[in-house]
Amino acid sequence: MTTAVSIPKTGGSGGHTAVAARARQVVKAYGSGETRVVALDHVDVDIARGQFTAIMGPSGSGKSTLMHCLAGLDTVTSGQIFIDETEITGLKDKKLTQLRRDRIGFIFQAFNLLPTLNALENITLPMDIAGRKPDRGWLDRVVETVGLSGRLKHRPNQLSGGQQQRVAVARALAARPEIIFGDEPTGNLDSRAGAEVLGFLRRSVDELGQTIVMVTHDPVAAAYANRVLYLADGRIVDEMYNPTAELVLERMKSFDARGRVS
Amino acid sequence: MTVFKTSMRNFFAHKGRMALSAIAVLLSVAFVTGTLVFTDTTNATFDQLFASTSPDVSVKSKNAGGSQNSAQTGRIETVPGDRMADLKRVKGVKSVVGDISTETVTVVDRNNDDIGPSSGAPTVATNWDATEFLSVDVSSGHQPRGPTEVMLDADTAKNKKLKIGDELRLIAVPGEFRAKIVGLTTFKVTNPGATIVYTDTDTAQRKLLGRPGVYTSFALTAQPGVSNDQLKKDVVAAIGDGFKVQTKAEVTEEGKDDIGSFLDIMKYAMLGFAGIAVLVGIFLIVNTFSMLVAQRTREIGLMRAIGSSRKQVNRTVLIEALLLGVVGSVLGILGGVGLAVGLMKLMGNMGLNISTDQLTVKPATPIIGLVIGIVVTLISAYIPARRAGKISPMAALRDAGTPADAKAGRIRAVVGLLLTAAGTVALVAAAKADKAAEGSMFLGLGVVLTLVGFIVIGPLLAGLVVRVLAAVILRIFGPVGRMAERNALRNPRRTGATGAALMIGLALVACLSVVGSSMVASASEELDKSVGADFIVQSDGGKPITSEIEKAVAGAKGLDHVSHFKDIRDAKITTPDGKTTTDNLAASDPTLADDLRTPAVDGSLADAYGKDAISLPEGFAKDHKAKKGDTVTVAFKGGRTAKLKVAVITSDDTSLNKGAKYLNITTVERYVPADKVPADLMMLAAAKDGQEKEAYASLKAQLDRYPQVKVRDQTDYKKLMKDQIGQLLNLVYGLLALAIIVAVLGVVNTLALSVVERTREIGLMRAIGLSRRQMRRMIRLESVVIALFGALLGLGLGMGWGATAQKLLALEGLKTLDIPWPTIITVFIGSAVVGLVAALLPAFRAGRMNVLNAIATE
Repeated sequence: MTTAVSIPKTGGSGGHTAVAARARQVVKAYGSGETRVVALDHVDVDIARGQFTAIMGPSGSGKSTLMHCLAGLDTVTSGQIFIDETEITGLKDKKLTQLRRDRIGFIFQAFNLLPTLNALENITLPMDIAGRKPDRGWLDRVVETVGLSGRLKHRPNQLSGGQQQRVAVARALAARPEIIFGDEPTGNLDSRAGAEVLGFLRRSVDELGQTIVMVTHDPVAAAYANRVLYLADGRIVDEMYNPTAELVLERMKSFDARGRVS
Repeated sequence: MTVFKTSMRNFFAHKGRMALSAIAVLLSVAFVTGTLVFTDTTNATFDQLFASTSPDVSVKSKNAGGSQNSAQTGRIETVPGDRMADLKRVKGVKSVVGDISTETVTVVDRNNDDIGPSSGAPTVATNWDATEFLSVDVSSGHQPRGPTEVMLDADTAKNKKLKIGDELRLIAVPGEFRAKIVGLTTFKVTNPGATIVYTDTDTAQRKLLGRPGVYTSFALTAQPGVSNDQLKKDVVAAIGDGFKVQTKAEVTEEGKDDIGSFLDIMKYAMLGFAGIAVLVGIFLIVNTFSMLVAQRTREIGLMRAIGSSRKQVNRTVLIEALLLGVVGSVLGILGGVGLAVGLMKLMGNMGLNISTDQLTVKPATPIIGLVIGIVVTLISAYIPARRAGKISPMAALRDAGTPADAKAGRIRAVVGLLLTAAGTVALVAAAKADKAAEGSMFLGLGVVLTLVGFIVIGPLLAGLVVRVLAAVILRIFGPVGRMAERNALRNPRRTGATGAALMIGLALVACLSVVGSSMVASASEELDKSVGADFIVQSDGGKPITSEIEKAVAGAKGLDHVSHFKDIRDAKITTPDGKTTTDNLAASDPTLADDLRTPAVDGSLADAYGKDAISLPEGFAKDHKAKKGDTVTVAFKGGRTAKLKVAVITSDDTSLNKGAKYLNITTVERYVPADKVPADLMMLAAAKDGQEKEAYASLKAQLDRYPQVKVRDQTDYKKLMKDQIGQLLNLVYGLLALAIIVAVLGVVNTLALSVVERTREIGLMRAIGLSRRQMRRMIRLESVVIALFGALLGLGLGMGWGATAQKLLALEGLKTLDIPWPTIITVFIGSAVVGLVAALLPAFRAGRMNVLNAIATE
C-alpha cells in the first residue's frame, strides 16, 4: 500500500510555494534480477515549506536513501524529484552540485567539518565556494543563534562534538538554503548536546522560517518536528503531526510488532 | 607465521598504494643493473675484439705507447723490417707477419667528408696481411694490390653509402694519396664502431709511414704446444730488450685498460646518478609507509590491545617493506636488462655497435640489484615501522577520523638549523679557501651538511615557504586556493619529505648550471683578455696537423702571422733544487707571445722564445726554487738533453694554458731529431688589420679539404666552448632526470595517498557544493605548491653550492660568476608544470569519487 501524502500548493511561510520539495513515484533499486533490492518503492511525498519534517523508520527502511535522493546526493531509478519547481532528477553532476551549493544545506551525523578550516571558515565555506559574499547581518544572527560567537577562530579538533554539530548547523543556515537536510544530526551526541542542537534547528524553523528535513531513529529527536513520516520497506506507511516522544515511540512499537508478526 | 600472514594480506590489500613505491624501487634498481649489464656487455665485446685481433705474441717499438698519443703527434713508432728474419729463427715460432696499423690517417670521400666514425671510435689504416683473417673475412671484391687500391670494412661502407669502385682520399702524415675501394671486409666478431681501411704492405710502409721497410709491429704465431709466455721469453732472449714484447693476454689487457678506464668512468658516473635516484626514492617510500601506518592507527591499536607486542607490530610493517623491496627489485632487474638493451640500441644509432647477442649478465648483477632494492626499502620503512610499534592500545578506542596532524618537533628544528649553519660555515670557508684541496673538502662538507640540514628542517621550511607561495600564487584562486594551502600545510613532515625529494635533483641541476655557465663566461672573458690571435686551427678528433695542413694554413690570404703550437710530451726537467719532474712543454713560435698573452711576473714573455730559453710558471718556479736567470736541465723524450735558461716567470693567474712551460720550436728542434718532433697540436693565426673577414673565409676555403681540422675565429670558438659545456650539462641533466622522475612520482604518491586519506572530506565538500572542477583544481594547486616548494629550496640551495664552487674554482681560473637565470626560471616554471602533471591522476580520482560512498567511508 502506498500512502500519498500531499499538501495543498499554496500558503506557508516565505517561499514561492507551500511545497519546498516533492517526490513523485520515486523508485530506487539496487542490482537486477534475483538480487534486485528495492530501497524506495514508488514513494510520493511533499515537504512543506517552513516546517520541520522528520523521517523515521527501522534500519533498511529506506529513510536515508529517501533523504539522499531528495537532496540530490543520490540518483533515482525512476520517478521525479523537485526542489521547489526545479526537477532535479536527470540533472547533470554540474547542475546538481550547483543546486546543492546554492539551495540546499547539509548536516551529517559526523565528520561535518573540514579539519583544516576554523569554525567561521567552515560556516562560510559553501558561499566561499560559490564566490558569494556572506550577508554579514544574517551571519552574525546565525552565529549568535547557535551560540558560537566566542569560538569562531577555533579549529574543529578544538571543539566538542556538540559544538562541532552546532557549527555544522550554522553552516547549513548561513547560506539561507531553501531546505536543510539532516542525516541523524544528533546521532553521535549525548542527550544534552543533542537537545541543544535540536533546539537550534527548531528555533531556526520558528524564528528564521527555515525548512528542515531530518532523518532520525530517535523518538525524542523526532518530537522536535512538526510532522513525522514513517518509512518501512521503502514505502511511506504513516505520518504524524505535532508529535511527542511518547506518541512516536508508541507508533514505532506498533510497527515493530506488526513487522514481527508478518 | 601469523605476523607474516598479516603482512601479506596488508601488502596485497594495499597494492595500489604500494605501486608508486614499487616503481621507485624498480627504477633505481633498473638503473643500477642496467648500467652493470651495459658495461659488462661492452667490456665483453671489446675483450672478444682484442682477443680476436691480437697475435700470440707481438713485438713493437720500445716507445710505442697508447694509440691516442701517436694519432695526435703524428709520430709513429716503428720496428725495422730486417728483424723479421731474426724472429723467424726463434724456437717455437710458427710464423711472423709484419703489421702496420695507425690511427694517424684521415680518410675522406669525394665530397671531402670524413668517413671516420663520429662516435669517438678511431679510423684505423692497416696493411692487408695474413693476421687480418683472424678477425675479418673479405665479403666482396678482392684484397688491395698496389698504391691505388684499398679495402674498407663493410659497416662503414654501409653507413657512409660507399661501394666498390668509389674513390677515397687518405690523408696520412707523410702526405695524402687517392685510392679506389676494391673490396669490403666483414667482421667475425662485433666491431664496436671503428672505421678500417686496408692497403697492401708496400703502400702502407711508403704512404702511411713514409718509410719503406718498417712495420709498427710483428705478429708472431706460436707452434702448437708452445705457450705464449714461453714464446715471449724466447723472443726477448733472441732480440734483446730493446723492444716491447707482449703476449696475447698482455695486449688484450692493455687494450682493455684503455677502453676500460673510459667505461669505468661512465659506469661510476651512471651508478652515482642511480645512487641519487635511490636517495630520492627513500623519501617516497618513507612517505608511503608513514601514511599506511597513520591510516592503520586504529587497526594497529586493536592488535596491540588484543596482545600483539611492539616487536610484532614493528615486524608486520617491515615484512611488508621486504615484500615491496623484493617485488620492486625483481622487476627492476628485468627492467635493467631491458634498459641495457635499449642503451645498446641507442649507442648503435650513435655509431657504437654493441651486439645484444653477447648480453652479459654476471651473477653478481642481480644480487647487487636485489640487495640495493631490499636494503633501501627496509631502511626507508624502519622509521614508520618504529612509529607503528609505538602506537598505544588506546588508539583502538579513540575515534581517529583522520590521522592526527604531525607536528614538526623542536629537536628537529634545532638539529636542522645546526646542520645548516655548520654547512653554511663550511661553504663560506670553501669560498674563502686559497688552497684547492682544502677548499674542495670544505665544499663537499658544506654541500652534504646543508643538504642534510635542509632535509631535516624541510617540514619547518614547508610551513614557511608554502605560506609565502600561497600568499603570492594561491591568493588569486580564492577559497579553493586557500584549502589547497591548508592541505599542503596540514602535514608538514609529509610535504617536507615530498618537496625535499624534488629538492635534491633540482639543487644539483642548479649547481651544475651555475658552474657550467660560469665556466663559459670565465673562459670567454679570459679569451677576450689574453688571446690576441684571431683564428685557432685544431683537430676536434685528435688527428695530427700534417705538414700539408700547415702549408694550407700558411697559404691563406690576409694573414699577418701563423704560430705553430706543439705539445712536447714527457720531458724530464731537472730544476736547481735537484729534483726532476716529468712534464709536457709548450713549444711555439715567438709570435705566440702576441697570440696568447700570458702575463709575466718576472721578465718579458717574448724572451721565452730566445735561443735555449724557457719560461716557467710562477707556482712551479716557487715549488722548485727556480728564478729568472737560473738554468734547468731538460731531457727530451727521444732526443738529447739540453741546458735551458729560465728567461721569464709567467703568472698562474690565468685559465688558458695555466702552468705551461713555453719555449721556441727551434730550441726543441736543436735537441730532438726531426722525425721525433711532434706535429702541431694547434695553430694560431692573426689577420692583417682590417682583413679579418677575408682571412677567415680564405682559411676556411684552404682547410675545406681537411675535414679533420677546424678553423675558428674567437666568436666561433666561444660558441664551441658554450656548446661543449652545454652538451655535457644536457647529458648530466638527462641522467639527473631519473632522480627527478622518482621525485615527481613521490609527489603523485603523496597526493594519491592524501586523496585516499581524505575521502570523507572530499565527500563532504562535494555534498555541500564543491564542483568537480573546483575539487580537481584544489588538488592541482596543492601539488603545484609542493612542487614549487621543492623547486625553491633546490634552486636556492643549488645556486648557493654553485656560487661557492665558482669562488673556489676562481683559484683555477673560474673567475666570473654567471647565474644562468633563463635556466633557473625555466626550471622553476617547469616545476609548476610538473606539479600540474603529477596531480592529474589523483585529481581525476578525487573528482570521480562518489559523494555518498565518500561520506559513508569510515
